[in-house]
Amino acid sequence: MIDFFIGLFLATLITALFTTRLYRLFLWYSLNSLMLGLLALFMGAKLDDNAMLITGVITILIKAIAIPFILKNMTQKFNLVRQIRPNIQVHYSIILIPVILVFTYYLADPITHMIGTNSNYVAISISSLFLSLLLMMEHKNVSPKIIGFLCMENSLFLLGISATDGMPMLVELGIFFDLLMAIVVINLLFKQERTKI
Amino acid sequence: MIFFLLLPAIIMFVMSFMRKSKVNNLLAFSSFAILIPIVQLFMLDKPYPILGDYLVADNLNTYVLLVSSIVGIGVTLSLMTLKKHVEISPKSYRKFYRFFATFWIGLIFSILANNMGIYWIGLELATLSTVYMIKTNFTKSASREAWNYMIVGAIAISLVLFGIILIYASAKPILGEEAMNFNLLLAHAKEIQSSFLFEIGFAITSIGMFIKMGFFPMNLWLANVERASYYPVAALFSGILESAVIIGFFRFSEIAKEVNYNHLFIFTFIYTLFTIFIVSFLIFRAKDFIRLFSLSGIEHMALISLFWVSGGVFPALLHFGAHAFLKPALFLSTGVLESNGKYKIDGALRGYKGKRGKIFVFLVSIFLLAIISMPPSPMFFSELYGFSAMLEMAKVDKHILAMIMAILFLLILLSVIFYKFISIYQSMKYDGEESEKEVYATEVFALILFAISLVVLILPTTINYLKGIA
Repeated sequence: MIDFFIGLFLATLITALFTTRLYRLFLWYSLNSLMLGLLALFMGAKLDDNAMLITGVITILIKAIAIPFILKNMTQKFNLVRQIRPNIQVHYSIILIPVILVFTYYLADPITHMIGTNSNYVAISISSLFLSLLLMMEHKNVSPKIIGFLCMENSLFLLGISATDGMPMLVELGIFFDLLMAIVVINLLFKQERTKI
Repeated sequence: MIFFLLLPAIIMFVMSFMRKSKVNNLLAFSSFAILIPIVQLFMLDKPYPILGDYLVADNLNTYVLLVSSIVGIGVTLSLMTLKKHVEISPKSYRKFYRFFATFWIGLIFSILANNMGIYWIGLELATLSTVYMIKTNFTKSASREAWNYMIVGAIAISLVLFGIILIYASAKPILGEEAMNFNLLLAHAKEIQSSFLFEIGFAITSIGMFIKMGFFPMNLWLANVERASYYPVAALFSGILESAVIIGFFRFSEIAKEVNYNHLFIFTFIYTLFTIFIVSFLIFRAKDFIRLFSLSGIEHMALISLFWVSGGVFPALLHFGAHAFLKPALFLSTGVLESNGKYKIDGALRGYKGKRGKIFVFLVSIFLLAIISMPPSPMFFSELYGFSAMLEMAKVDKHILAMIMAILFLLILLSVIFYKFISIYQSMKYDGEESEKEVYATEVFALILFAISLVVLILPTTINYLKGIA
């Protein structure tokens, strides 16, 4: 089951890279976060780790539901451009994405040997990190870049739960707090830009 | 204790919601209150647990906290006259204070953290609050740079977290959840079995921190951000944010030193040398104050890192203190110097009348000469001791010839920077036309505060304290 969710996590991120509409991108981000939350829940149940179960629930509530909802509201409120064409053309992306996946698999190979459990997940989380960077790079608009940043945070979260069987609860909560703070700052930046106009 | 340390920032945050303009005057003086708990921390036996095992005061972070708090006070003083130098709406002004307070809270947590996770959370909080401070300036370039800072800053901070996760994964088999604890990690560093995993984590964390400090290959991003924002933001970056970043580097490298010293030294040596090489030429081409000081800041942070990994803890900390006082002082002076035209270097130090004006000119001249390590600047002594530490280390490793060559190369690069600063100082003092300019009392007071702090840095008591940390 965990393998299934991790596959879907990667698949949603790859699909997000080809998206040309903003709302659809929010949806893929939401699904990506949902897979991450479910993954944390399953791993938490498997390891009998209550902290990871709580983290999984918070991930689903904040990242899969609240943040996409807030971002959608912001888009309507500030009239943001919803047509987002990636700078990298689709046929190049089709070549680039597998190259990144294979490259990161070999890049992470020495690290994965040292991690006893979930070693393949570490390789997938590192490749997700690169794919999130690609998402940030391939768009000129700010909104997809924000989603790229949020996906990068998801990849790090995946790395945290797969490489270390979960980070301490306090740290996880702190990261969530910072994420919410990021959304507040992004909201303020958009608001100020509108004031200027 | 933690409440009193956070109190000035909390007062600032609460008062930023009040609409009365006189509140700002109160804020400048309430910020001095942070010195009381810090002085108390200096007198306590260390390590002193401030918040369980999460926030622990030791000699190193108490010193860094004091330095950054003095900078915070200086910036608060100069903020009182921000409206007189730049156009800023009362609403933006209040929001600036609000995010400055959030920034300060984040950095206090980062500096005092004995936990890698809390260190990261504080740093991220500070990074995010800075984004809005940049945006307070209503220009197109400030808007672009705020987003730029948000994106690049997020990448840098994500790299730091990535590295922390790998370090945590490498130490978890021996320490369990306590593997986040800096002191425990240091004590058990030699027991880490997957040293490669730790080193990869350390390298990634360091690269994230280096990007935040503007090291190679991101030399210009910080300079551009500082140029686009109001001058107190640049002062906060160089005096407080960089303090929190460098203390993280100190903590992580102490552990890396135990794991594999040679790898740590070679990695930092090559990285910093390359950074100084690039930065010296960028400084040579700099055409405005902010970029000049910002790039010079990168050079200083590179030197501090280099001295630290060479075993020169005392010169690294002395250099750090001098940098933390000199850079904000110069950035705050820039607010006054640029009031008569942004890129006007010629004659920038001419036209200041009266006692206040003369003190201002004198202090700016002293700071400019101190930053290029003219004796008796603390930077002169720190560089002297720093290069000695590098030679001592090379003697032990029997690489003395290679180290002498590296130091000579560094001195050539530093002389390029020296030349540029002298040339700029001469243009400021002797070229251009003289026109009457004004400087305000609080600004001079802030500069005097930095000057006194610089003098205190080279007092025997301070030197003994810093040597004690080593």
